[in-house]
Amino acid sequence: MIGVLIVIIFTALTVIAFWVVSSRDLSSSVIYFMAFGLGSTVLYVLFSAPDVALTEAVIGAGISGVVFLVSLLQTQTKEDT
Amino acid sequence: MSLKKTVGLKTILTALLISFMSMLLLGVIMNAAYTHTSLGYDLLKINTISTQSANAVTSVVTYFRGLDTLGEVTILFLSIFGIGIGIERSDRMKTILGYDSTLLKIGTKVLFPLIVLFGLYIIAHGHLSPGGGFQGGVIIASGFLLMFLAYGDSYDLDHKVLSLFEALSGAGFILVGILAALAGGAFLGNMLPLGVLGKLFSSGILPIIYIFVGLKVAAEITVLVEYFIRTQDARDA
Repeated sequence: MIGVLIVIIFTALTVIAFWVVSSRDLSSSVIYFMAFGLGSTVLYVLFSAPDVALTEAVIGAGISGVVFLVSLLQTQTKEDT
Repeated sequence: MSLKKTVGLKTILTALLISFMSMLLLGVIMNAAYTHTSLGYDLLKINTISTQSANAVTSVVTYFRGLDTLGEVTILFLSIFGIGIGIERSDRMKTILGYDSTLLKIGTKVLFPLIVLFGLYIIAHGHLSPGGGFQGGVIIASGFLLMFLAYGDSYDLDHKVLSLFEALSGAGFILVGILAALAGGAFLGNMLPLGVLGKLFSSGILPIIYIFVGLKVAAEITVLVEYFIRTQDARDA
């Protein structure tokens, strides 16, 4: 059961990682990055590393997303192609 | 290729392949890691004897590798210092990323004390449950972030109090280490009685060090968030 969950989350994380790299709109890229942090939090809990999961939830899905968003607002939201 | 709109079959197949291979790699690593001759096994064996802490990660961070944590806290302080120098301050500062809403303001008023309390709980129980100084400190800072988002320019932080917290906890960390060295042990060694496993007042100086680290991290990340969220708007210039 947990093995199936791990496979699902791993696959979803890989798809989200593709989106983080390939999306043209950088602000949605940041949102995908925060979703990636949330998914890896669940993965760390399943691998019985709650310490790392707590750090990832607070820093990966919280503070770093805000820092990226503010940096984006200060520059421009579209990537030059 | 637009991955945002549709997920093609090729993408899903590639993702499945990559995740399968990474799980294979992870399985190899995890099977190799925990044997009777490994470092982790020895560490868990001596953990309860030497620190009486229920969380082995905390004993590594604050006791076995206490000096590394001191370096880590110093690096964090220096990076915040660098950001403070690099980001220009002036009178025309205003909050970006704020949102003016009565619902958000009232909800934040209710949630803010609970978030800070939860952060303090995580810090104080670092040697008993998952978490510790770093995690709890960032949780407290995220509470302040919520206040910045809800109240915007009308919410003022007292920077003198923040600096006082930051400086005193940094000095307290080093002072605990020096006191331990004077008491006959090594720098950052354990000089207090270990107590009983699982009690809040146990495992010597580990909770004291983690409380200092937590307060320092909370003050530093709060200042970082304020620097980032309250700046001169570059688009107006």
